[in-house]
Amino acid sequence: MMPAMAKIQVLVLLLLYIAIQCGSLNVDTISSDIKIKNVDRSIDISSQLVKITSKVTLENTGKVPVKNFLLSVEGGAKSNLAFISAKDQNNKDLRLVETTVKGYDQVKFWRVELKEAINVASTAIIGTESVYTKALQPFPTAITQQEDQLVKYNGNLYFYSPYPVVSQKTNVVLNTKSVESFTKIKPFSQQDGTIAYGSYSNISPFTEKELNIHYKNNSPFLTVTRLARLIEVSHWGNIAIEETVEIEHTGAKLKGPFSRYDYQQDHHSGPASVRSYKTFLPASASDVYYRDTNGNISTSNMKVKKDSVELDLRPRYPLFGGWRSHYTLGYNVPSYEYLYHSGNEYLLKMRAVDHVFDDMQVDELVTKIILPEGSTNIVVNFPFTVTRLSDSLHYTYLDTKGRPVITFTKQNVVENHIQDFQIRYTFPRLLMLQEPLLVVGFLYTLFLCVIIYVRLDFSIHKPEHQHKD
Amino acid sequence: MPTTAETKHSNGRNKGIFNNTTGFSTLITVTVLSLAWLAGFASRLFAVIRFESIIHEFDPWFNYRSTAYMVQHGFYNFLNWFDERAWYPLGRIVGGTVYPGLMITSGTIHWILHTLNIPIHIRDICVFLAPIFSGLTAIATYLLTSELWSRGAGLFAACFIAIVPGYSSRSVAGSYDNEGIAIFALQFTYYLWLKSIKSGSIFWSICTALSYFYMVSAWGGYVFIINLIPLHVFVLLIMGRFSQRLFVSYTVFYIIGLLLSMQIPFVGFQPIRTSEHMAASGVFALLMAVGALKYLHSLNPKGQWKQLLILGGLVAAGTVFLAVVLLTYMGVIAPWSGRFYSLWDTGYAKIHIPIIASVSEHQPTTWSSFFFDLHVLVCTFPVGLWYCIKNINDERVFVALYALSAVYFAGVMVRLMLTLTPVVCVLAGIAFSILLDLVLKEDEMQTAPVETEDSKNLYDKAGKLKKRTPEPVPAADSGLGMNVRSGTLIAFMILLMLFSVHCTWATSNAYSSPSIVLASYGNDGSRKILDDFREAYGWLSQNTAEDARIMSWWDYGYQIAGMGNRTTLVDNNTWNNSHIALVGKAMASNESAAYDIMTMLDVDYVLVIFGGAIGYSGDDINKFIWMVRIAEGEHPKEIHEADYFTERGEYRVDSEASKTMLNCLMYKLSYYRYDSGGSPAGYDRTRGALPGHRGFQLTYLEEAYTTEHWLVRIYRVKKPDEFNRPRLPLAKRTIPTSNNLSKKPAYDLGPMTSKRRKGLLKNKPTLVKGKKMTKLE
Amino acid sequence: MSLEIESMVRYASPINPAVFPHLTMLLLGIGIFFTAWFFVYEVTSTKSSRDLFKELLLSLVAALFSGFGILFLLLWVGIYV
Repeated sequence: MMPAMAKIQVLVLLLLYIAIQCGSLNVDTISSDIKIKNVDRSIDISSQLVKITSKVTLENTGKVPVKNFLLSVEGGAKSNLAFISAKDQNNKDLRLVETTVKGYDQVKFWRVELKEAINVASTAIIGTESVYTKALQPFPTAITQQEDQLVKYNGNLYFYSPYPVVSQKTNVVLNTKSVESFTKIKPFSQQDGTIAYGSYSNISPFTEKELNIHYKNNSPFLTVTRLARLIEVSHWGNIAIEETVEIEHTGAKLKGPFSRYDYQQDHHSGPASVRSYKTFLPASASDVYYRDTNGNISTSNMKVKKDSVELDLRPRYPLFGGWRSHYTLGYNVPSYEYLYHSGNEYLLKMRAVDHVFDDMQVDELVTKIILPEGSTNIVVNFPFTVTRLSDSLHYTYLDTKGRPVITFTKQNVVENHIQDFQIRYTFPRLLMLQEPLLVVGFLYTLFLCVIIYVRLDFSIHKPEHQHKD
Repeated sequence: MPTTAETKHSNGRNKGIFNNTTGFSTLITVTVLSLAWLAGFASRLFAVIRFESIIHEFDPWFNYRSTAYMVQHGFYNFLNWFDERAWYPLGRIVGGTVYPGLMITSGTIHWILHTLNIPIHIRDICVFLAPIFSGLTAIATYLLTSELWSRGAGLFAACFIAIVPGYSSRSVAGSYDNEGIAIFALQFTYYLWLKSIKSGSIFWSICTALSYFYMVSAWGGYVFIINLIPLHVFVLLIMGRFSQRLFVSYTVFYIIGLLLSMQIPFVGFQPIRTSEHMAASGVFALLMAVGALKYLHSLNPKGQWKQLLILGGLVAAGTVFLAVVLLTYMGVIAPWSGRFYSLWDTGYAKIHIPIIASVSEHQPTTWSSFFFDLHVLVCTFPVGLWYCIKNINDERVFVALYALSAVYFAGVMVRLMLTLTPVVCVLAGIAFSILLDLVLKEDEMQTAPVETEDSKNLYDKAGKLKKRTPEPVPAADSGLGMNVRSGTLIAFMILLMLFSVHCTWATSNAYSSPSIVLASYGNDGSRKILDDFREAYGWLSQNTAEDARIMSWWDYGYQIAGMGNRTTLVDNNTWNNSHIALVGKAMASNESAAYDIMTMLDVDYVLVIFGGAIGYSGDDINKFIWMVRIAEGEHPKEIHEADYFTERGEYRVDSEASKTMLNCLMYKLSYYRYDSGGSPAGYDRTRGALPGHRGFQLTYLEEAYTTEHWLVRIYRVKKPDEFNRPRLPLAKRTIPTSNNLSKKPAYDLGPMTSKRRKGLLKNKPTLVKGKKMTKLE
Repeated sequence: MSLEIESMVRYASPINPAVFPHLTMLLLGIGIFFTAWFFVYEVTSTKSSRDLFKELLLSLVAALFSGFGILFLLLWVGIYV
C-alpha cells in the first residue's frame, strides 16, 4: 500500500513541477545579434519617484531579422520597480513578457515583442519607461521642522542591458541647484537643475557603476500605504465609488517638537511637510464626500473643470515626516460614462486605480467591484498583472442572495497604472423589478398581518365588541 | 375615560368611513401623532443639516464608543468589558458601571437592520436615535394624557412635547445620551401605571414593571419613578382612596419591578440596600398592612374599625420608618448619597463635592431658563393642574404629585428641567384642550343647526364633542359672546404659533451645537468651521503610539477615548475623585513637580484646551480654578486656592497674576510660544489680557502638536534621558514619595486658614454647557 | 462573450434620475392615501361588516404604490439599490 501511495505522490509532484516549469517561467537566451547603438537616458528624480525614460537605438548585426529583444533591470533595483513599458517609433505600446535568462538569476528580464521585426543591419528606436518607488533615501533620516529634506539617489551610471552599448548619455533631472554631492565621472556637466553624464562609449553588457546624488528634495514624499477602492454598480443609473486611503509621509522623519508658532510665521515653514494635495476625479463626479472615522474633514475645496473635478484635499493636520493620516473619499458617476450594454450583456470599463495625487506611490491597492444582484457569467480583463482574490458576496439594501463582488489586489502602484479594466456580465433586466417587489411584498405581508390580527380575539371572557384603537 | 365609551357606541351606527366618528377621529389622531413625530424629528436635525451626522459633546462619545464596542464584540463581551483605555492605571469595568439600555436599544436596531441587509453605520443609528425616540415620547405622552383627561388633550400634549425646547435640548440628533430614550421610558411607565391603577389588572401592572425595567436599564433617573409611584400610593392611602385595584397594581409592580431592576449589573442590590429606594419598600409594607386591616374590616364590618384602621396604618407606617432608620444605622442600608443630598440642600455640593458643583448643569435653574425651555407652557400648566385637582380622581392625584415634585427638582438643578418638561406638556395640553372645548363648543352649537339640514352625521359629531368636554365646563360659560370667543381663539392660536416659533428658534440656536465643531461667522455672513478638536484627536489617533497615555482635564476624557482612541487618565465618568484631584494637582503644580506626578502616572502626552487665540471661553484656563479647588480638596498641603489669585483676590493671567499662577503647568502649557492672536502679539482674546509670563522654555515637555487655531495643544512628556534635569544639591536628591499619595488629609487646617481666603473671579469662568457627568440621580 | 465594446451602447438608467423626486411624491402620496384608507377601514369595520376582498384589494393597492414610492425615495436620496 505504502509504496504505491508514495509512487503516486512522487508522480504527482513531478507532474506538478513540470507544469509549473512550463506554465509560468519563460526562459530566454541573450541574442548576440543585437547591439545597442545609442542610448539617450533621462532620470527624473525631482519628485519622490524615480522615472527613467530611455531612447534606445537597436541594431541588428546578425543574419536573421530580430523579432524581440530583452530589457533588464539590476538585481538591486528590481524590488523597487513599479512599472515598465516600451514603445516603438510610432508611439505604440509593445507587449512585455516577464522572462528569465540562465545564469543571471539575480537580474530581472522582460522580452519585448516587436510589432515589426528589425531587418538585418537595420536599426529601430525603442522608447522605454520605468518607474521606481522608494529608490530615494532621505539622508539625514530625521530633520527638524524648519530644515529642508535631503535625499540620496543611488543608481546605475550606465544603461543596464544584456547587449553591448556603443554610446550612451544620461541626463539627471533634479529641479534644484542645491546638490550636496554627486558622482563625478567625466564627462559630466551640471546645469541649473540637471546633471548630464556622458557620452560614454562601448560599455559591455551588465555593467554597473554606482551613481550617487545627494540633493535637496522638498517635493511631497507621500506614500499611500493602502488604497481600498470600492466600485458599486447600480442599474438604476449610478456607479458609486469609494476610496479608503491610508497615507503616510515617508520622507525624513520629524525630529523634535512641532511648533505651531513657527509653522504659522511664514508660509515656507516646514518645507518638507505636506499641507494639501490635489486629487482629480472624473468630470462627471457628483456628491463628493471626504471624511474619516471622526466625520467630515471640512478643509477641502472642489473645483469643477472641463475634463475633471479637482479636489484640493487638506488632511486634518499637515503631514510631517513619519506622520500618518487616513480618509475616505467617495463620489457618484452616472452609469452611461462607464457601463455599456447590448441586450442583457453588460460591460463595465473603469479605471482599476484612480489619481490620488501627482507622482503618487501606492503600496497596496485593493479594488472591489460590486455588481448588481443576479449578475452571472462574469469575465474580467485586467490591464496589468494583478492578484485576484476570491469572489465574495455583498449584502446591502434590498438584497436577498447577495451581490457578486470581484476583488483584486496589486502591490506597488504608480500613476502609470491608471488604466481601465473590463468586466463583462449578464444581467436579466427583469431582475431590476425584484427590489421594488420585495418592498411591496413586505408591506403586503404587514397588511395581511393586520387583516389577520383584527380577526383574532385574545380576551378570555366574551367581549362586548371591544376593538383596538 | 368618556371617549372610549362613546367610540364603542358609534361603531354600530355609522357605516361610511369618513362619516364615521371613530374612523375620523382615529385618522385625525394617527395623522396628528405622525405629524408630531415628523415635526419633532425634523426640528432636531439642525445640527445634522448645519454640520454633519456626528455625535455631540462629551458623554455621547462614551455611549457611542461602548455601543460600537457592543456591536463589534457582542453583548456578553460588552457586559464583561474591562476598559483599560480609561482611568489609567485603574481601568474601568464598563459593563458594571453603565446603564446599558441605550446601547442595547441602538444595538438591537443595528442588528435588526443588518439582518434585513440594511447596512446603516452604527454611528448614524446613534445620531438619530434620540430624534426617533422623541416621536415615541410624543405617543407615550398622548397615551398618558388621554388616560388623564381626553384624547384631544393628549394630542395637544403630544404636539407640545414633540417640539418643546426643554426636551429637545437633550434629544437633538447627535445627542446620544441616556435621557434621549429615558424620557420615553418615563412617560410610558407612567402611562402604564395609570392604566394599571385604573383597571387593577395584573397584566397592566406587569407591563408597568417591564417598562420600568427598561427605564432602569436606561437612566439613573429611574429613582424618580420608584419614588414617585410609592408617593402616589401613599397619598392615595392618606386620602382614603385605598382600593383592591391599587393594592393589586402596586404590589405586582413593586415586586416584579424590584426583581427586574436588580438584573441590571450597575444597579445590582441597590434597590434593597440604599435609602433612595426605601420609600418604595416602606409603602409596600404599609400597603400590605392596610390591606390586611381592610380585610379584617371586611370580616366584621361593624365596630370601631375606622379608628383601628387609622391607628393601625399609623403604627405600620411608624414601624416601617423605624425599621428603615435602624437598618440604615446598622449599615445594612446605605445612607443617602451626596448627589441625593444636593437635591435637598442646594449648597451641599458647593461645600462637599466640588466636582459636582463644577458642572454647569448642576447649577440652580434661573427663572429665565424656565421660560426659555417651556415658553407659554410654563404659564398654562398651572391651569391644567388646577383643573386636575378640581376634578380629582386617582390618576389626577398622580399627575399633581408628578407636577409638584418635578417643579421642585427643576428648580434645584438645570438638568432636571428635563423631568419637568413632560408633565408640563401634559398639563398644558389639558389646559389648552379645556380652553378649546370652551371656545369651540358654543361655536359649533351655533353653526351646527345651519348644517344639520344636509348632514345629520356632522350634528352627531358636534354633539359628541360637546359630551366629551369634561365636567368643569359649566353651563354658565354659554354667556361668552361670539366676539370674545373668536378673539380668545385667535389669541391662543397666535400664542401657539409663537410657541412653535420659539421652540424652533431655541432648538436651532441654543441646543443644536455639536460642540466639537465650532462655527464662526464672518462679517459677510460666510461661515468658517473651526475643526480643531477633531484635528487634534485625529492627530492623536494616527501619530502616537497605540498605548500612549494622554493626560487632560476630565472633560475631554471621553472624546480622547472616542475619537483619538487613546488611553486617558480621567474622564467624564467622575467616579474617582482622588485620581481627578491628582491630575488637577499636576496641572496646578510647577513644571518639575508636575513632571514627578506625570512620570508616576506614566503620562506620555498632555492635552490642554486653549481658547485665547479665537476667544473660546470654555477653555482650560477658565476651568482651571475648579482644578485647583478639586486638587486642594485632596491635597490641601500642596495646593492652595488663594495662591492662584492676586493679592486683591482676582483671577487673572496678565502680569499682575500671582507667581504660582504664572508658573503652574496649565499656564505654561497654554501660553507656551503663544504669540499670535490679537493686535499685540500674544494677546489672549478670551480673557482680554496680555499673558503675564511669556517667552519661557519648557524643560520636561515639548510641544508635540498644536491645532490650527491653537484650540488644542498637545505636549509630549520627555523621557528622563531627553533632558538635563536642573542640578539638585545632593542633600535634596531624595524624592519624598509620600507627597504623591492621594491620602485624605488630616483635618489640620490651623496654620492654613489664613491663606484660605476665598478668591473672587474677575472674569468669572463661563462654564460651557455640556460638562456633565455620566450618572445622575 | 464575443461582444465588443464597439457594438455596445452606453447604458443609462431606465428612468431619468431627474424625475425621481416627482415619482416619489406621487407614488408615496397615493400609497399613503390607500394605507390610511385601509387602516381606517380596519378600525371602523366590525366583524359583521368586514369585507375580506375589499381589505385585500385596498392593501394590495396601498402596498404596490408605497413599495414603488419607497424605492424611488431611496433612489432620490442617493441609495442606489
